[in-house]
Amino acid sequence: MPTLRKDPITDRWVIISPTGSKKPSGIGQVCSRITPEDGPIGFCPFCTGNETATPPEVLAYRQAGTKPNEPGWTLRVTPNKFPALRIEGSLDRTGEGVYDKMNGVGAHEVIIETPDHYGRLSLLAQKEFEDVIWAYRDRIIDLKRDKRFKYILIFKNQGAEAGASLPHTHTQLIALPIVPQMVNEELEGAKRYYRYKERCILCDIVRQEINDGSRVVSTNDDFVALEPFAPRFPFETWILPRQHDSHFEDIKKNEAENLARIFSDTLKRIMKALNWPPYNFMLHTSPFDDMVVEYYHWHFEIIPKSTRVAGFEWGSGFFINHTAPEEAAAFLRDVDLTDFK
Amino acid sequence: MPELRKDPISGRWVIISTERSKRPDAFVPEAQPSPADYGDSCPYDEGREYMTRPEIMALRRKGTGKDGPGWWVRVVPNNVPVLQIEGDLGRTGVGMFDMMNGIGAHELIIETPKHGEVLPDMEETQIERILWACRDRIVDLYRDKRIKYVLIFKNSGINPETTFFHSIIQIVATPILPKQIKEEMAGAKTYYDFKERCLYCDIMRQELADGDRVIDENNSFLLFAPYASRSPFEANIFPKQHASSYTSITKDEVTDLAVILKRFLRKIRAGLKDPPYNLMLHTRPAFVGQRQEGATIEMDYHWHVEVVPKLTKLAGFEWGSGCYINPTSPEEGAKFLRDFKDY
Repeated sequence: MPTLRKDPITDRWVIISPTGSKKPSGIGQVCSRITPEDGPIGFCPFCTGNETATPPEVLAYRQAGTKPNEPGWTLRVTPNKFPALRIEGSLDRTGEGVYDKMNGVGAHEVIIETPDHYGRLSLLAQKEFEDVIWAYRDRIIDLKRDKRFKYILIFKNQGAEAGASLPHTHTQLIALPIVPQMVNEELEGAKRYYRYKERCILCDIVRQEINDGSRVVSTNDDFVALEPFAPRFPFETWILPRQHDSHFEDIKKNEAENLARIFSDTLKRIMKALNWPPYNFMLHTSPFDDMVVEYYHWHFEIIPKSTRVAGFEWGSGFFINHTAPEEAAAFLRDVDLTDFK
Repeated sequence: MPELRKDPISGRWVIISTERSKRPDAFVPEAQPSPADYGDSCPYDEGREYMTRPEIMALRRKGTGKDGPGWWVRVVPNNVPVLQIEGDLGRTGVGMFDMMNGIGAHELIIETPKHGEVLPDMEETQIERILWACRDRIVDLYRDKRIKYVLIFKNSGINPETTFFHSIIQIVATPILPKQIKEEMAGAKTYYDFKERCLYCDIMRQELADGDRVIDENNSFLLFAPYASRSPFEANIFPKQHASSYTSITKDEVTDLAVILKRFLRKIRAGLKDPPYNLMLHTRPAFVGQRQEGATIEMDYHWHVEVVPKLTKLAGFEWGSGCYINPTSPEEGAKFLRDFKDY
C-alpha cells in the first residue's frame, strides 16, 4: 500500500510508493566519478597552476610563503566567472503594473575544495574536510557585512546530471537580496510549530528520530545523519546538529570536527551504496536579520540525483518517491566502508 | 544587469540572468531516444486493449464495443499506479509526523490508437477529443469525496520508454491539495481580497496591452511567457473568459484550445530542436474554500495550462531554494516563438 506522508516543516506531501526493489531505479546508473583512466583532463580552471583563469581569489588556505592567485593553496574561493548575480549596484525595487522586480545584485562564488582534479569531497582527509567547513563559515561571516544581502545559499552540484558545469569538485555560494521561497516556507512552518509548542520543530524531529532509530543513518556527539520522514527523493539524507543552533556560522571548533566526520562518513556511504551517483547538497541556515532564532535549526540536505523529475512534481510541488526512507536508512547503515577508496 | 523578478501568483522570485544569456538556438535539449517500434507489445495500440486494465471511458466509433478496437481516445487505470482507489484514508500520526494511506486514482489518457503519433501531428478534432476526455474525467473523479484534487499532466519525451513511446496524458487524483496549487490559490485570494479583481485576469490585461511576452492568441485564449519564468520558453495558456474550473470549458473554447496548443507544440518542436516538455493543467479543487465563510474561489481562481520545455537541468540551487535562475528572458523567448513561422 503506498502511503502519503507530510513533511512537518513545510507541509509538503510526498507519496511513498515502494517498488519492492532495494536499489531505486534511475539511481546508480550514472557514475559521476572521474579517474585518470578517463583520459586527458583538458584545461581545468580549478587546477593548480591555472589560477589566472578564474577571477582573483577572495579567500584561500595556502602554504606559508605562497602568494595569492598562485600555486600553493589547498582550498581556494573565487567569484564565479559567469555569475548569475552581480555584486555592484543597488537593488532599485520597482513595479511594472502587477509585477515586481529589482536588480539582480548578489554574490556568486566558487569554493574549490581541493587542487586535486580527481579529488572528491568524500575522499578528503579529516583536516581537509574541516577546512571546507571553515571556508563556508568564513565566507558567510564576510558576506553578512553587506547589508544588501538577506540570505546566503551554499550548495554543491556534483556531476553533470546534477547541474555541475565542471567536473573538478567545488561548492557554490550565492548571496541573495531576498530570502528564497523554499527557505521562507521552512521558516514559516517552523514558526507555526514554535507558536504552538514553544519548541524548535527540528529539535523535536532530532529527538524523535534518535529515539525511533529506523531512519537514522549514523550519529556522533554533535550530529545526526538521517532520512527524513517524508523525503522527496530516494536516499535524500539530512545532517542536523543535535543541539539547537540556528546559524551555521556559529559552529564551534569541536562541532566542526564532528560535522566533517559525519558528513564525510555519510557521503562515503552514499557513494559506495549507489556507485558514485551525481548529487546535490544544500545548507539550510537562518537569514541574517537576527543573531539567534529559537524556532529554526540549521542543517544540510543531501540529494542523490535519481530519475529526472517529471511534470508531476514540477507542476504540483507534490513528490512521488519509490524508496521508503526506512529502507534507505537501513541500506546506508549496512554499507561496509572498510575498503572505501 | 541581471534581474530579480517576482511571480505575482506564487510570490516566487526568479533570477533572469542576462550575464549567462543564452540565445534560443544555443540550447541543445537532451537527445531523446528514437521511438522504438514495440512491434506487437505496446499495450496502448489499437487491437491490444486486453493488455490494459478495463477502460474507464473511451470516445469510440458507433457500433464498437468496450475494450475492443474502434476508439479515438481511451482512458484506463495505470497498470502500476502510484495511488490506489480502494480503501479509506486512515489518517494517522506517528509522533509528530502525519501520514495517510495512498488513496487516489492514477489513470492514463491514451491520446491516439496510432503508435508513435504525437500531439503536434494530430488533427485538431483529435486534440479536441482528448480535451473533452480530460474534462469528463475531472467531473467524474470530483464525485468521489475522498478526492481533493485532480492533476492532469503530460511528460513528453521524459523517460518515454515507461509509456512504450505511445503518446499519453496522466491523471493523478489525490486526497490532498498539492502544494503548488495551494500556493497559487493563496496568492490569487490575497490579491482578490485586496483588489476585488481576479489576478489572472489582470495579468492577462497587462500582457495584452504590453505585448512583449505574448506568443500567440485567438478568440478564447492568450498564450504568453510568464513575467517571472522559471525556465526558458515556459508558457502559460489562460482562457480569456474568466472561469475557475476547467470543467466549465465551452465547445468553442475546446476548439480554440486545440488550435493554440497544437501551434505552440509545433513551434517548440521546430524551433527548439524537439525538446522534452511538461504540460500541466491547473484547475480549481472541488471543495476547498466552498464551505468556508467568505470563499471567493469562483471569482479569484482562473484555470490555465502551463507548458515547460525541458532545456535546462535543475540543480541543487533550485531544489534547495525554490529560487530559479533562467538564462533566457521571457521577452526574448516570446519574441523568438512569436516570430517563428517555419513550423
